[in-house]
Amino acid sequence: MIKNKFLSAIIAGGLLSGMTACNPLNTNPVQDPNNPSVGSVTNNASRAQIQFLVTGLEARHRGYVFTATAGFGTFGREVWYLNASDPRWQTDWLGQNGRRPDASYFGFGANGGTVYAGAYQTIRQAYVLRDAANNTTALTETEKKAVAGLAKTIAAYQYLLPAIWRYDSIRVDVEDPLNPGPYVPYQEALAYVSNLLNDGLNDLNAAGTGNFPLILTAGWAGFNTIDGIKRVNRAIAARTFLYRGQWQEALTACDASFMNLSGNLNAGPTHVFGAPPDAFNPLFFVRDANVSTMIVVHPSVLRDTTANDARVRTKFYRRTSPVTVSSDAGTLSGQYQDNRFAANTSPVSWIRNEELILIKAEAHAKLNQGTNAVNAINIIRNAAGIGNYGGATTESALIDEILYQRRYSLWAEPWGHRWIDCRRNNRINDIDVSFDGGTRFTGFPKPQSDVNWDIYTGG
Amino acid sequence: MRKRLQLMVGLAFALLLGAQANAQTTVSGKVVNPKGDPLAAVNIQLKGTNTGTASGENGSFSLTIPSGSNRSLVFTLVGYLSQTVQVGQQTSDLLIEMKEDISNLEQVVVTGLATKIKRGNLANAVTSINAKELTGTTQIQTADGALYGKIPGANIRQNGGAPGGGLSIQLRGISALTGNANPLIIIDGVYANNDFQRTGRATITQAGASTQDDGSNRLADINPAEIENIEVLKGPSAAAIYGTRANNGVIIITTKKGAAGKTKISFNQDIGFGDPLRLLGTDDWTVEKINFFFPAARRQQEIDRLNAAIANGTKTDFEKLFYDNKATLSNTRLSISGGNEKTKFYLNGTITNEDGVVRRTGFERYSVRANIDHRISKNLSIGVNSNYLRTNTDRGFTGNQNNTGASIGYNIAYIPNYFNIKPDPVTGRYPDVDYGGPRENPLAVTDKATNNSVVNRFIMAANLDWKIFETQRSSLKAVLNGGVDYVQNTTLIHMPEDLQFQRGQANPGDVLHGKTEATNTNFQAALVFNTEVKDVSLTTQAGLVRLDFESDALFVRGRGLAPGQINVQQATVQSIDQQFFSKVSEAGVFVQQEANWQDKIIGTVGIRWDKSTNNGDYKKYYAFPKASLAANLTKMGLFDNSNVISQLKPRIAYGEAAGPVPFGTTFTSLGSTNIGGLLGSAPNTTVGNAAIEPEFATELEFGIDAGFFNNRLQFEGTYYIKRTKNNLQSLVLSPTSGFVNTTSNEAELENKGIELAVSGVVLQKKNLRWFSRLMWWKNDVITTYLGVPAYNTGAFGTALGTFAIQQGISPLTIVGTPAIPGGGVNGFTVWGLNQPDWTSSWYNTLNLPGNLEFSFLMEYRKGGDNINLTSFLTDGGGTTNGWFEDDNKDGVPNGRQRPPEPYNNAGRWVQDATFFKLREAGLFYNVPQTLTQKWFKGVVEKIRLGASGNNIFMATDYEGYDPETSTFGATTLANNVDIAPYPTTRRIFFHIGIDF
Repeated sequence: MIKNKFLSAIIAGGLLSGMTACNPLNTNPVQDPNNPSVGSVTNNASRAQIQFLVTGLEARHRGYVFTATAGFGTFGREVWYLNASDPRWQTDWLGQNGRRPDASYFGFGANGGTVYAGAYQTIRQAYVLRDAANNTTALTETEKKAVAGLAKTIAAYQYLLPAIWRYDSIRVDVEDPLNPGPYVPYQEALAYVSNLLNDGLNDLNAAGTGNFPLILTAGWAGFNTIDGIKRVNRAIAARTFLYRGQWQEALTACDASFMNLSGNLNAGPTHVFGAPPDAFNPLFFVRDANVSTMIVVHPSVLRDTTANDARVRTKFYRRTSPVTVSSDAGTLSGQYQDNRFAANTSPVSWIRNEELILIKAEAHAKLNQGTNAVNAINIIRNAAGIGNYGGATTESALIDEILYQRRYSLWAEPWGHRWIDCRRNNRINDIDVSFDGGTRFTGFPKPQSDVNWDIYTGG
Repeated sequence: MRKRLQLMVGLAFALLLGAQANAQTTVSGKVVNPKGDPLAAVNIQLKGTNTGTASGENGSFSLTIPSGSNRSLVFTLVGYLSQTVQVGQQTSDLLIEMKEDISNLEQVVVTGLATKIKRGNLANAVTSINAKELTGTTQIQTADGALYGKIPGANIRQNGGAPGGGLSIQLRGISALTGNANPLIIIDGVYANNDFQRTGRATITQAGASTQDDGSNRLADINPAEIENIEVLKGPSAAAIYGTRANNGVIIITTKKGAAGKTKISFNQDIGFGDPLRLLGTDDWTVEKINFFFPAARRQQEIDRLNAAIANGTKTDFEKLFYDNKATLSNTRLSISGGNEKTKFYLNGTITNEDGVVRRTGFERYSVRANIDHRISKNLSIGVNSNYLRTNTDRGFTGNQNNTGASIGYNIAYIPNYFNIKPDPVTGRYPDVDYGGPRENPLAVTDKATNNSVVNRFIMAANLDWKIFETQRSSLKAVLNGGVDYVQNTTLIHMPEDLQFQRGQANPGDVLHGKTEATNTNFQAALVFNTEVKDVSLTTQAGLVRLDFESDALFVRGRGLAPGQINVQQATVQSIDQQFFSKVSEAGVFVQQEANWQDKIIGTVGIRWDKSTNNGDYKKYYAFPKASLAANLTKMGLFDNSNVISQLKPRIAYGEAAGPVPFGTTFTSLGSTNIGGLLGSAPNTTVGNAAIEPEFATELEFGIDAGFFNNRLQFEGTYYIKRTKNNLQSLVLSPTSGFVNTTSNEAELENKGIELAVSGVVLQKKNLRWFSRLMWWKNDVITTYLGVPAYNTGAFGTALGTFAIQQGISPLTIVGTPAIPGGGVNGFTVWGLNQPDWTSSWYNTLNLPGNLEFSFLMEYRKGGDNINLTSFLTDGGGTTNGWFEDDNKDGVPNGRQRPPEPYNNAGRWVQDATFFKLREAGLFYNVPQTLTQKWFKGVVEKIRLGASGNNIFMATDYEGYDPETSTFGATTLANNVDIAPYPTTRRIFFHIGIDF
């Protein structure tokens, strides 16, 4: 009995002290144990945090590469993306058996995938970086301008992706995530991009000289100065003016860019890739790999080559056996694979000297400056080892020639140059669908998620 | 009968008065069953006191009663009706005959967190499954696998037939649109981990997210043979007192305990084999078919291969080669239990070693358990349950994949039967596969690749009962319990460098090692006050609950492996695939009041308040009230003159419960990203919702329990309406926001259903007894409110069938192509519904002359549609059985022209999943004790021999291995997708059990 009371006392005492010492009902809020919060950079971010955001912008900036190459490349019939595990990479992307782009199309999903949602995520990152840099004392005023200039330059480039994918209206005012602005027509969107680039240039003009104040990846080698970034900014501006048909402005931008008529045609900034924790180059495939997933050269590209074109030799690799894939729309077979990348860590160019020279050629042709156009064309032709241009110098003949050179010079670059070239020149029927019985896509409808957002908000 | 009882009671009162003057008495006697065999371990208690004993091995007992006591002895034993005997003049050689509790009315069921209630007084349809029903018919690998067909209202699915679990249970439809809608699992009071932990298989096979890992749910670790009883609280009306986490129901598992008396040693051995329940066959190939199927350039090569195969006799049925292997199944169990009045113990050790029907797959389980209960003093008792488990599972490679070829079923869908995949007998080299599917030799994957998971797990539970005071009419006790569930899961996925697909990679050879550690701890303290006010017995309980869940996962990957090596340091590319921490704390307070008027009317009201750090407001308490009422009309004397009705109990119950907000829902995080040797930060594309609320479910259920002919025939009927609100779903933001989505509470669902059960003893003769139970249930669910725009979700999109979330229709509606712009449901054609029309099961157990016992369980499910993408694959590869036949004689073979017209839309993969299954059957023979006595001279007490089977027979028109497969594992909506699963295994066993 005594033992009993003793035990009771211990238990009762233990309970009471337990309750008061560590109240079991008391819970502490749980912070994210895996990540910092977005809020941690909005005010007074440290220099290191701004650096992380700059690098984050570079990482986001390359997200579109695969889709813009394999998808846009397929739509322009530069390539086929063969994939046996899911026939929709063939049937849907080629528009076989009557398939047409819809608001949640395969490979893009309801939010448009990496070329739409992904592009706007990069734009969001650019704005987060711009604001974080603006709201800190860790950077000097000129440094803030440098960061803003880079952010706007990259954001402008990314705006072009949804624009050329839709080839129709897009939203340009996306400052407030929950209240995005209206869709503006394609040309208006391009004008917005030009303005944003000019804004960025103005910032960079106020950013002093010398190196960019924060670390950029090796993809900016040769361009990691304030001046270098300005030249990249103008290169993007030249591409934008070309799409806007503003030929003189395109020439001016070319001249202010890193275009070098006697320089390396491959010069330009790149997206870098690497082994984990980095990402591998998504366009790299092992030569002759006996697999059923492969980006292959489109037969029409092979058919239309010029003899001895060095671009054909260096870019296309003839496999010992073709990659063949069947679907309910028949069998596709690719004999040639992409030969541009030495390894899965090779960088991917996103705007090059070669393109700028071709932009210059096209602008001259449109401005009736045939000689200048031919001179530019010949730089490209001689580099490819196919000699000077000998054709007519009418505008239409020159445009034919320039578009042909663009097919091989810019083949399967992460942009879908062929697809946009055919559309902006009203030559959609030049896209050869005879090998797959597919459809020529002119553009994509608004992604379902964006349509739904307007329904949800009553907008 | 009733009259005689009254007479006896009257007599007893008279004797009681006379006996009061006596000094203390010793009462002795013997307890027997209706056959007259002695019953051991019968608990004998002096009514309303702690004086008691238990009957010995030969059924005898002896108890000293203090003077002045009421002399009323209560005899109780699980499975028998409790009996109160008034001790009269005769105090020795009493013969007490216990009656079997056919109706289980005496069985106690958990209704509060610290109290129990007799089934006969229950106001909810709580399903109880005892050890005999759970594992008595046959040996089943996992505890949840043993629940098929035993719970009205349950929909149980398995990823596929791979050994080692992978099951999910939905009770009374779905209470959630996201997550897995699985019930909360409580084992001996411990909040048990039933996660589908990531293995990373889907990363290596490129199938996609971890939902396609085909991983096990961690209930697979638990040894079903150690389970004494499972109670299933199917919805909030019964489970409200569990608060948060209970909206999908609660499964309460109680493990076995020792009983006072002679130490009992039991040894059991099962030996069996498994083979595939069903194979579908593959299509043969002819020159004509080759000429149809292959492009012109390829035909000659294929015809040459065909001719060579015919000449060499090497045509192979790949289904048989991979799936039709005899699996050896073995289970060894040794248990020792016993104890005395003060201390009772149950010790068990089990070794399970069960192979799969695919080579190099299998499941091993080692379980050691000690359950000890000790009475420290008259008022204080403690109990400790401890369990160490180790499981080692090889689940192989089946299901979805992308390009890697790391799936047998996916792979063989594309390989014609004349292609020789076997290794060269001289070089050992596996031929490269060059057909339209994945470029991989599935035999090489089966022989060389690894998908292994080793779990080490401790589950510890402790409880303490302290009777603080006790008077004639009242008592107060404190009940404390707590526990820990610690799981450590080590996973390995390995693709050796010499596999065909790997050779085509920049860095051949791929290995992923995972370590996941999860710790659940829980603590509960309650006070229970009992008092009698006039004829009403009142029980009040109040207490608090604290829960903590922590997990930590680390996955490392190596690519470009040194030959034969799996250490990540032997890889060219070494990477951290994932590191993830999570931590959740929850706390709650509860109060419950029960009132019982002489077992005539039983009412309960209760409320629980819960908070969770996962909620938007971590400090906010959410209230979960409940109320229930049951009326035993028969006890009120309403049917005293009826020979037919022996029990009639209308009942009604209402309750509310919640579904937890997933960890991290409130965080808006800066994720990490690496490029060019630098670390980058970028906002995660999911925006946290700092105002998120838990999902809420309310349920009203009512029904009638009835007994007829002295409860020989029982009926239980229940109707329920379960409404949910604040359902979590993804609110997709405008993609131009730069974010993908956030979590919103803007959906509501309604489930309505009926559950019926009829059971009874059909035959009862001297040596023949036939018990039978028929159950029938159905559930209908609709989305009653949707605050976000209607959307489609789940499975693989509209081209292959997906689910339409739209106000006013069932969220289980399957829609797909062709699109109906501006029409249909969400713009697409409706093809089916992932919900059975109804399900029915039939359980029988027969005690036959000659000490034989035969039992079986059958289930029939009517309706419900699956999305069968296995057919999609085999049709693509030309290997579906009958592919080249042409039913409509239009020159296009069936495999290229699946109805409905116009033939290339999602509808062709949506198939009716009606089935009939003989789930379990077992025949056991008890060697007569006279013989065991004679043979073993008393050393061996009992020998039991038997043969049994699991998944013995299936009849279905469904064109897959099993209509109950789910490639996405546990998921609310898309748990009906079939992609090249591991075939379900038919298991046949022989058993021997020896009791010493």
